[in-house]
Amino acid sequence: MVGENILVDPLLIVSIVLIFTSIICMFRVIYGPTVIDRMIGFNTIGTKIIVFFVLLSVFYERSIFLDLAIAYSLINFLCPLILVRTMETEA
Amino acid sequence: MLELLLFIAGCTVMVFGAVGIIRFPDVYTRLHASTKCDTGGALSILLALTAYTGITLTSIKILTIAVLIFLLNPVVSHALARTAHKRGIKPDKITVVDMYARDYP
Repeated sequence: MVGENILVDPLLIVSIVLIFTSIICMFRVIYGPTVIDRMIGFNTIGTKIIVFFVLLSVFYERSIFLDLAIAYSLINFLCPLILVRTMETEA
Repeated sequence: MLELLLFIAGCTVMVFGAVGIIRFPDVYTRLHASTKCDTGGALSILLALTAYTGITLTSIKILTIAVLIFLLNPVVSHALARTAHKRGIKPDKITVVDMYARDYP
């Protein structure tokens, strides 16, 4: 049975891809020329973190991570909106 | 089998979105790559996890998170693009047409 081997477990491969792409997006957060670029990179990393919480919940069979994912998705929605509103009113 | 196909599709979209976030020339095209990465990649992986767990309470919660991402991420992307245009960030030189500047001068 191939599925018993941990190296071909799809959850592990997906989590490795998520960490790798988060590191790539962190490049844009650090070296972005404008503020909007940094916010784009951070928002993308936030979405990857939500998917990673769901992966952890399925892997460990603990449903508390799903509630954490819902709360983090709402925070990830509100944070850029408040920052954008502040930047529009000051400019 | 279905979840493996969705896992592969989601990982491919995630990798190409990350490459687009690094390589694209200005804010608006990077936002385009970021939006594809959010909705396409994340929704594919969440639907694959739903098919992986079967029909339980967990899969219903995962579907709730998928609907939240599907509804809330385009709002954030739209607000970011509008603020970038209002702050005077110009598109790249190879841009052909800018309809928002024509409609709201």
